[in-house]
Amino acid sequence: MLLPKFEFHEPKTVDEACQMMAEYGASAMVLAGGTDLLVNMKKKLLSPQHLIAISRIEELKKVDSSPFGLKIGACLSVSDTASSDAIGKKWGALSAGAKALGSPQIRNLATIGGNLGTASSAADLPPSLMAYGARVVLKSSARERTLPLEEFFTGSKRTTLADDEMIYEIQIDEPAPYSGAGYESLGVRSCQDIKIVNVASFITLDGPGGIIKSARIVMGCVGPTHLRAHSAEKILVGEKPGEAIFARAGELAMQDATPRGAAFSRASAGYKKDMVGVLTVRTLGTAWKEATGERN
Amino acid sequence: MSQYDVIGTRAPRVDAPAKATGRAIFVDDMSMPGMLYGALLQSPYAHALIRGIDVSAALKLPGVKAVVTHKEAGLVKYGVSPARYDETIFCYDKVRQVGDNIAAVAAVDMATAVEAASLIKVDYEELPAVFTIEEALADGAPLVHDDYKRNISAEVHQEFGDVEAALKECDLIKTTSLKSKRQDCAFIEPQGCIATYDLSGNLTLYSSTQTTHYVQRSLAMALGAPVGKVRVVKPYVGGGFGSKASASHLEMAACLLAMQTGKPVKMIFDREQVFLHGRARHQFVHTMTTGVKKDGTIMALKHEAWLNGGAYSSFGIATVYYAGSLLGGPYKLPNMKYDGYRIATNLPACGAQRGHGGVIARSCWEQQLDMIAEELGMDPLELRLKNIMTAGDVTCNDLDMSSLGMKECIEVVRDASDWKNKKGKLPQGKGIGMACGFFVSGAGFPIYRSETFHCTVTIKVTEDGGTAIVSTASAEIGQGSDTTFAMIAAEGMGIPLGMVRIESGDTDFGVDLGAYSSRQTLMTGQATKQAAENVKMQVLDALSKELHVPVEDMDIKKGYIVFKKDKPDLSALKTRYIKEHREWTDNPSLDDELSFREASRIAFFTKGTIVGTGMYKPPELGGKFKGAAVGTSPAYGCSAQIAEVSVDEQTGRITIEKMTDAHDCGQAINRTSVEAQMHGSMAMGLGEALFEEVKFDDKGRLLNGDLAEYKMPTALDMPPMEALIVESHEPNGPYGAKEVGEGNIMPTIAAVLNAVHDAIGVRIHELPLNPERVYLAIKEYREKNAKQ
Ligand SMILES: Cc1cc2nc3c(=O)[nH]c(=O)nc-3n(C[C@H](O)[C@H](O)[C@H](O)COP(=O)(O)OP(=O)(O)OC[C@H]3O[C@@H](n4cnc5c(N)ncnc54)[C@H](O)[C@@H]3O)c2cc1C
Repeated sequence: MLLPKFEFHEPKTVDEACQMMAEYGASAMVLAGGTDLLVNMKKKLLSPQHLIAISRIEELKKVDSSPFGLKIGACLSVSDTASSDAIGKKWGALSAGAKALGSPQIRNLATIGGNLGTASSAADLPPSLMAYGARVVLKSSARERTLPLEEFFTGSKRTTLADDEMIYEIQIDEPAPYSGAGYESLGVRSCQDIKIVNVASFITLDGPGGIIKSARIVMGCVGPTHLRAHSAEKILVGEKPGEAIFARAGELAMQDATPRGAAFSRASAGYKKDMVGVLTVRTLGTAWKEATGERN
Repeated sequence: MSQYDVIGTRAPRVDAPAKATGRAIFVDDMSMPGMLYGALLQSPYAHALIRGIDVSAALKLPGVKAVVTHKEAGLVKYGVSPARYDETIFCYDKVRQVGDNIAAVAAVDMATAVEAASLIKVDYEELPAVFTIEEALADGAPLVHDDYKRNISAEVHQEFGDVEAALKECDLIKTTSLKSKRQDCAFIEPQGCIATYDLSGNLTLYSSTQTTHYVQRSLAMALGAPVGKVRVVKPYVGGGFGSKASASHLEMAACLLAMQTGKPVKMIFDREQVFLHGRARHQFVHTMTTGVKKDGTIMALKHEAWLNGGAYSSFGIATVYYAGSLLGGPYKLPNMKYDGYRIATNLPACGAQRGHGGVIARSCWEQQLDMIAEELGMDPLELRLKNIMTAGDVTCNDLDMSSLGMKECIEVVRDASDWKNKKGKLPQGKGIGMACGFFVSGAGFPIYRSETFHCTVTIKVTEDGGTAIVSTASAEIGQGSDTTFAMIAAEGMGIPLGMVRIESGDTDFGVDLGAYSSRQTLMTGQATKQAAENVKMQVLDALSKELHVPVEDMDIKKGYIVFKKDKPDLSALKTRYIKEHREWTDNPSLDDELSFREASRIAFFTKGTIVGTGMYKPPELGGKFKGAAVGTSPAYGCSAQIAEVSVDEQTGRITIEKMTDAHDCGQAINRTSVEAQMHGSMAMGLGEALFEEVKFDDKGRLLNGDLAEYKMPTALDMPPMEALIVESHEPNGPYGAKEVGEGNIMPTIAAVLNAVHDAIGVRIHELPLNPERVYLAIKEYREKNAKQ
């Protein structure tokens, strides 16, 4: 399979990249690790005339942690995301997602921004990021805007990105005390596997041994984009964490899921639904452990 | 201590340095002056009439040097089995599968060739298509080939003994089935080739193939060239597993384009084309009925198999025969009836893959035997031991187990896995299971009926006597055969491995049927041994005349001449050698023993270049019934495996915790290579058991023609593997050696099926055991049990 013809640009700075995007508009695409884009170009699903390569811009590879939270550059590689201590210590579910993505070779190239830009509901990083309430900072030569990641995805393979806009950074707030998160993904094999279902859960307790103050559960592969399991979240709030309530949340999450029963998808709709239930319970368990664990 | 100096060791592979440093040359690395690139135009439809082909736009594209269709290629029918030659180089009347070949283009670069192919206009008239066995057999179903009535491309009906009578005497009769999915060989290196055509009309094809000889013959036949004008050369090959065991359209098209343009033409399959033209494992549906006595004695097997064969016959006749014949052993089975049907459909053609034809049949039966043992209250391992064949036994279908360490294999895995403390004693969700299997050590007959030798080997000693060059047309495809033959040659001549150089994979080196049916170690090994011993005799004969010592009083070992009786005065001989090499710094000293190098230099003076030849064809083999040719072999390798698994009952995901594997390969030539084959077999078997499945949409188009969505096991999916070598002595093999390449895949799937049952109490009769299938099976099982 051959790549279609395109013009390759490698801007040195974010500003230069934004100018190019303004100039080429819809005929250009951002190239980060290329692990999605180049594959799709080879399959002739996409054929941009211009590729603007950004993965060597240092500014886009940062991980800034402060008492308020994290700012991650869009081009931080997935392997660096997986091995970052700053991320691993407080945002373990994001590390778990990064570790579950592809293989070492893919992780070395793949970027966090690319994982969002692809807007696949099977992607490994959005569930945890959404569960943590992450925001994305989008930049163009004309403006900069920040919005919740949840609002960034508008449909299967669709985002709010304008033609001249790029993802600049991802921001995650410092988790509140007594909170924890978990991420689980289910594939056919152990790695290098686009997932059948993935789920991230995040809960905050009102104190040690206290009730659940807030909960966010995000499900992948069961809708056009990653979905919030709203009714499962609702039932958790105000309750003491425990197996029974988690099981109930799992059942409600199954109802919140809307998997497609497409004949040729990786698994049947019924199986995906059932697995949402299982993974919801498991991730809530992990989140609970973390919320009551030594971190606080 | 071993009686051998070279074989039976762990000598490093002769190709290791080249491969480890990336210097080994594969087709994709090769380039030639003026080389063109070829591309194929392939059908987007599974079944359609071709009403017209217009190549004019393609020919006009700058950079295009030739476009060929059936008009240039002709309509010679070819294929694998002469009884089912059902392909032409290009389709002319209709296409029968997505990917069927219509035309090929040669151009100055790949992009131009691909673009030109897309400019060829084909006027198709779509026909209704059949994709499943049921669709193909339905009344009034469209025919894939007019010749195959009801779309049955081959059928087999055999009975040995009297099954119905035997079943009447049984205490327990059990019927079960197993349905598998199409598997792909999924080797790392896609097929590729470069064809050249010189001004004297010699065609040379460099190709990523397992069988230079069959490719040579097919090319000669289909292109109308004398065999002597066609040479096929195999560079290093990145795996074959069966898919590269016959001539492909790619090779045909490249040759045709080279002949048309007079320029070298390179063509490489992309991964999707590997799936479309791989001709790998069929989909099998087996139903078996086994009858046993209360004490576990197996009395009879009634077996029906349905194979989804795809658009062309390829190896399919052999496949459907193997699916039946390979159940004749390794258990004593006096009565066996087999009805096998291979069905033509409009999916890509299937052919041979590791464990040809036998793997799913074996899996079905070995699961059934486990169920029978359970009902009889017997340990399944004991049930097998009770019925086990030993060396000298002959199966009801005339397979002669000239050596058989099957019993030893079972005992070895039983002890190594601690079976007795685990079987039935592991906690819920964890399980252990075992199975056995055996396989031919080389097909007894060539694919085409012939009196040909299956292989010829030449060994030539360089004039200085320092190096022996082994020339064989056999195929090193990653399995280590070059190392094996270098070791056998060294042993046979009595010299160190370092003095042997091997050149292989070129039809100019002689005849060798190639790397399939696990034949090379035994067959090419025999020919190599014979050639090596022939060299040794020639050297000793020359020496005998010089020294007046009878040949039988001498031998060669570790590179030196051994005088069994009195050592003669060697000074004159040694001085002659030294005089030949005045000022050389590495001359042997006068006091040293007489070396092979000196002796063969002396032999060269009287005989000229010392050339030893060897050849092999199997002795007369058993079986006079129709189809006896498939399954008969000079020897059989066998193995037993124990799988330990854990099952996540909430998700249905299986984790293989450990594999314990024993294989009887006769004398191991290279122990490391034997273990590597066992590891590779297990990986391929576990993939088929757990994940692998080629999928199509309802138009016969591939859904997962890439290695992201076609899921082979990754390193992380592989469990710890214990590979234990059992060495029987095979009288028909070189130094007692026989196969390990394919036999070892036989037990894997069934061992997993049986372990899964041990873990969760559920029997599953469809593959692969992906999480959803296992989850649903558990759910169904629980619902059924709840009702009761
Ligand atoms: C073999 C294989 C296995 C894989 N396994 C997994 C897996 O297990 N889990 C998983 O989630 N994914 C997997 N992927 C998909 C892919 O690796 C990830 O989605 C990866 O994170 C994409 O990042 P990238 O940098 O390579 O993106 P690219 O391919 O460079 O870009 C992807 C898309 O995002 C856009 N984009 C990239 N960066 C930006 C930016 N800063 N601003 C705006 N748009 C941007 C691009 O224009 C493009 O549309 C796999 C891919 C392959 C080839």
